[in-house]
Amino acid sequence: MYALEVKNLTKTFDKVVAVDNASFEVPEGSVFGLIGRNGAGKTTTIRMMMNIYLQDSGEVILRGVKVGQDFKNHVGYLPEERGLYKKMKVIDILYYFAELKGKSGRDVHRKADEYLKRFDLYDRRLSKIEDLSKGNQQKIQFIATILHDPEFIILDEPFSGLDPINTNLLKEIILEMKKQGKVIIFSTHLMDFAEKMCDHIVMIDHGKIILKGSLNEIKSKHSQRNVSLTYDGDISFLKSHPIIDKITDYGNTTGIRLKESSQSQQLLKMLIEKNVIVKKFDANDISLQEIFIELAGHEDGNNGKEVRNV
Amino acid sequence: MFNKRIITLIKRELREKVMSRTFIFMTILMPLIMFVSIGIQMLISGDEGKSTIALVTETQALTESFQKELLASDFMKQGNYTFSFYTQNREELKKFLDESKSSLLEGTLTGIVYVPSSAMKNKKIEYYSKTPTNLTLSQKLEGPMNKVLIDNYFSNRSLSTEELDFARKGIDFNGFKITKEEKIEEAGFGNLILSYVFSFLLYISLIFSGQTLLQSVIEEKSNRIVEVILSSVSPKELMTGKILGSALTALLQMVIWLSPIILIISTTLFVLPAEITFSITMSHVLFLLANFALGLIVFLSLFGMMGSIFDNPQDAQSGMWPLLMLLIIPFLIAMSMMRNPNSPIANIAALLPFSSIMIMPVKMTLVEVPLWQLFACLAVNVATIFVVFPLAGKIYRVGILSTGKKPKWSEVVKWLKYKY
Repeated sequence: MYALEVKNLTKTFDKVVAVDNASFEVPEGSVFGLIGRNGAGKTTTIRMMMNIYLQDSGEVILRGVKVGQDFKNHVGYLPEERGLYKKMKVIDILYYFAELKGKSGRDVHRKADEYLKRFDLYDRRLSKIEDLSKGNQQKIQFIATILHDPEFIILDEPFSGLDPINTNLLKEIILEMKKQGKVIIFSTHLMDFAEKMCDHIVMIDHGKIILKGSLNEIKSKHSQRNVSLTYDGDISFLKSHPIIDKITDYGNTTGIRLKESSQSQQLLKMLIEKNVIVKKFDANDISLQEIFIELAGHEDGNNGKEVRNV
Repeated sequence: MFNKRIITLIKRELREKVMSRTFIFMTILMPLIMFVSIGIQMLISGDEGKSTIALVTETQALTESFQKELLASDFMKQGNYTFSFYTQNREELKKFLDESKSSLLEGTLTGIVYVPSSAMKNKKIEYYSKTPTNLTLSQKLEGPMNKVLIDNYFSNRSLSTEELDFARKGIDFNGFKITKEEKIEEAGFGNLILSYVFSFLLYISLIFSGQTLLQSVIEEKSNRIVEVILSSVSPKELMTGKILGSALTALLQMVIWLSPIILIISTTLFVLPAEITFSITMSHVLFLLANFALGLIVFLSLFGMMGSIFDNPQDAQSGMWPLLMLLIIPFLIAMSMMRNPNSPIANIAALLPFSSIMIMPVKMTLVEVPLWQLFACLAVNVATIFVVFPLAGKIYRVGILSTGKKPKWSEVVKWLKYKY
């Protein structure tokens, strides 16, 4: 059973196809990553899922029923572009957003206090938003997203602009939510995060879905013949070697694609013989970034039109 | 249509607006500003400044009687007028005019009044000045000078003082208002002042609440908060909530402003002096409020729509002027109606969309309006809402999510067809 099914969503703005016949499924209890570069159509897809945009065609199914207000009541949404009423008090804005979701009263008040304490903002609860630092405003916005105890949490680029400590706090809470059986969907262009957090992903490029499924399956499918290597020394001799298909330097690690998956032992032997110091040799491993680049072409391939943020 | 979410939105708008300092200031200051502005107007038209006037007649006797009469008249007591008296014939006058030209132009001499002998018969008097059309002066001089001429004319005939008194008396124009009711009542200035107050308050309140809504829509849009809210409510709910919240705020303010009038009508606690007493009923006030409520929804829809199109207040200014025209023109018509309540343009405008919101209340204060016209006015405004609100809603829905460059009007028209 899928929690959410997206079927053939299409959205066009002024002849630019922002999302092109996108279909994917979000399983119950999963942390689901919507991955793609900037302007790929992630935000438009999310906005259609949220019913903020009406799609040109297609539909979004929530546990067998088309999404509507009921979905809105059970979702917590953190848009990419954050915003709060500057003149409102922290506590008032939290109550207000919860009330819009149909939650008010002592339960919400107690929970708001809990979260504020956890984010170290309890003493600021009577401050106006404009008196808070940007990072703190982001925290408030995140609390507002989850305060009404939503079943679905949709986060559009949640990590952008967060410092490492708060990034960790956010991750911690996302994993906690996952344990409570909630569905977390987040979009990101940071493959590292997606790789660490998600168990299911969908990759979107130029409005089209180019890859979808469970992260483990995807990785094992793409990782055959692949070695990720960390080393010291000179490996230039590999460049024209007959067992090598392709070498890609990612800075810290190097991705090596072999012609046959059985050749990994041969490669390791060769490296040692040539006095290359092998720090990490991970056969049958591939990073999401490698998969993405393999599928979406060149990293800088700006051949598609970026969709204006409408 | 109505649900908890809209109520939550309305509650926030009310809390935000009614508790704001601006609201309290406006509510208290507005009546003050209005009284001051009425006062200043009266002051300006009443204060003629210092005037020095030369009065020239052709005979010594006439000069003396003018001197006697003018110096004794009421307006001289304020000391704003200084008169000098001369006896000259037309030839001498010409010379005198030439000599006085520089002082007339400089303003040290305000004017020269010449009473030729022929005035004894035809009452034609000449006035030489840089500004010969001075209503205040002619009003002031008319009475006493007429009296002198009448005295002079009748001095050789045997008339009783009674008859002379009658002849001297000016005409007192008393207005009586004819209404459907039995009684014919003497109308004071009350209703005129009231119509001024009504049009002023309606105008200010529509502009002020419209502007405030526009700012708040722009704030939500440029702050990107709108997307968060739209994850909970639909754009239509958001717009409805904001408009109703603002409308209730403005309505509350209007009720506060009108409360003295309501108190005067409904209780006997206050008694106004006769000349400013007014004759309107409670149902007039209720009509004004109902009509205003409808007008608020019409105009706030438009202002909200305007706010959604632009993402900063500077750009929004350019979109404001058509809306301001919709408010300024009716205001001017309402003002002209006070001078001429039967003007055909005003009568038509009292039943047109947009303009009827301000003009009908003014009209009903000045003249007796048949009941059907009041209902027609309400019906027109309800119909306007049914046209304006959905259109504004469509543009709003697209507008609040579109950021970036300022859209062209042709693009905005295209939004109407968008399937968002």
